[in-house]
Amino acid sequence: MLSLALRRIAFSLFSLLVVSLTLFILTRSIPTSPARIVLGDQATEDQIVQFDRDHGLDRPIVVQYGRWLRRLVFRADLGRSFTTGRDMNQQIADTLPVTMEIVVIAFIAATLVSVALGTLSALYRDSPIDYVARLIAVLGVSVPGFWLALVLILFFAVERDWFPPGGIVPFGQDPLGHLSSIVLPCFCLGCFYLAVLTRMTRSSLLDVLGLDYMRTARAAGLHPARVLAYALRNALVPVVTIAGLSFGHMFGWALIIEQIFNIDGMSRALLTAIQQRDYSMVQAVVMMFTLVFVGANLIADLANGWLNPRLAAGA
Amino acid sequence: MNALAARGRRLMASCGGPAGFFGACMIALLLAISLAAPLIAPHDPLEVSIVDQLQEPGEGHWLGTDQSGRDVLSRIIWGSRASLAVSALAVLIGLAGGVPIGLVAGFSRGRWLEQAIMRVLEAVSAIPILIWAIALIGIFGVKDGHLGPLTFSNETKLLIMLGLLYIPTLARLTYTSALGESQAHYVAARQLQGVGGLRIMFSDVLPNCLSPVIVQATLLLAIGIIIEAAISFVGLGVQPPTPSWGNMLASARDYLLSGEWWLSVFPGGAISLTVVGFNLLGDGLRDRLDPRHTIAQVSR
Repeated sequence: MLSLALRRIAFSLFSLLVVSLTLFILTRSIPTSPARIVLGDQATEDQIVQFDRDHGLDRPIVVQYGRWLRRLVFRADLGRSFTTGRDMNQQIADTLPVTMEIVVIAFIAATLVSVALGTLSALYRDSPIDYVARLIAVLGVSVPGFWLALVLILFFAVERDWFPPGGIVPFGQDPLGHLSSIVLPCFCLGCFYLAVLTRMTRSSLLDVLGLDYMRTARAAGLHPARVLAYALRNALVPVVTIAGLSFGHMFGWALIIEQIFNIDGMSRALLTAIQQRDYSMVQAVVMMFTLVFVGANLIADLANGWLNPRLAAGA
Repeated sequence: MNALAARGRRLMASCGGPAGFFGACMIALLLAISLAAPLIAPHDPLEVSIVDQLQEPGEGHWLGTDQSGRDVLSRIIWGSRASLAVSALAVLIGLAGGVPIGLVAGFSRGRWLEQAIMRVLEAVSAIPILIWAIALIGIFGVKDGHLGPLTFSNETKLLIMLGLLYIPTLARLTYTSALGESQAHYVAARQLQGVGGLRIMFSDVLPNCLSPVIVQATLLLAIGIIIEAAISFVGLGVQPPTPSWGNMLASARDYLLSGEWWLSVFPGGAISLTVVGFNLLGDGLRDRLDPRHTIAQVSR
């Protein structure tokens, strides 16, 4: 288990390094320099040289990267934006919790419902509940979340007054209002993953239930609940892997969902940065996404090592 | 009559059953519609008409008109071109890059080249495609790009980027199959005949590795449609006035609260139907070509 953990952690760090280096080189290789964006077209050559020297942009890319990385690793400091001068740690601290709340709630709900639904669907194969679960799985993967969001807003917020059409009510102001304002965004975000995970749970559990040791367990007279618990422990391995991937992907789709529901989260930060051509901000936000994504995959791998010790031993 | 029925059955089986066949029909119909757009679109998709703006679906405009009085049906028909072109060309680029890389990595089993290629690909796949795409377009901007004498529209940039981002997925899939094939006796036999490595790779091994790749490519077509729409939806994809399903949805957002439902329902419906078609075909092909289900459902 320890060797699996160390190997996965090493690989995660390597991913972060490759991604951050790629982003860094890309943001530094755009023809329009930050100096031009900040100082405008009228700026003289001298002013631009001065700006670059002040911000360390005249150094070789590798040196700049090393400095950036050192600050990030040792001081958890993303630095200041070249173009707006904003403190990027502050910006992330302002927007990340909003996005995180929606993603975490959608993720937990989607995972719980899909494991329950997938299990029922596998246990009662070819019964009405199985058909319902399979229908949900097909619809969920085909309907894009952002369209679902528009239709649900039309139906529940415009035609009827059940949920607010957008924005988030702060929790401190009105806890109930807060909950009702995140129902639709969470639902739209979670739907696709609910479908994927339901399908995965169903097929994986069906595979395991058909194995010899399951028949032996049943023949030995074990309580059905006990048998199911054994089966689930093995069947959940691929589900956990996909769930780990899903968490990161949900973070990406939250960008679009936040945009539709007018939520002031990471998507606003990223899209504003893109509009203002604030590359250092784009880089910082994307780094945060990568961190979340790599972290979620790491947790999924470790959870699998715990669920199925053979993986840890064999890997 | 019997021969016809037999041919029909064969056709259906090659798509992996009735559902896959249905998906293939949907895609064929869609392709026909987008190719025939100039013939079948009832109106000019760019024709602005102030007197006709925001008309409900009805006679003259079956799916209504938008804020500039443009016919929604015609825009959906023309918009299918942008969506299909971006997703299809992106998959082609992904195949052209990913398959050779995967083959080479699979054949370099045990050498540093294999490790180098696969580790870098895995690291790049550490970020979801959607985020990579938004970040890259954010960095390069939505204006037309120039490279020497060539000018790239944002649409072209988007499809090239998507194609590059598909490479890791397709390369890893090809790699997995190639790894197994490279151990096969027929490869050793060809080597003993003195055939060169590249020739064995592309003319002998490649055909045996293609099944999972074809299935994945079909599923990537569906993913491409959704990602194109999502990126155009946030204003970073196909730029107005060129219609695309994503940017139609984006402008529909402003009319959501005032009750112009047809502006968002129809383009989104077109996206969903297309995705259903590709998914049905992909699932059908998977049942037929990859019965052991080695391809995990890729989350987009």
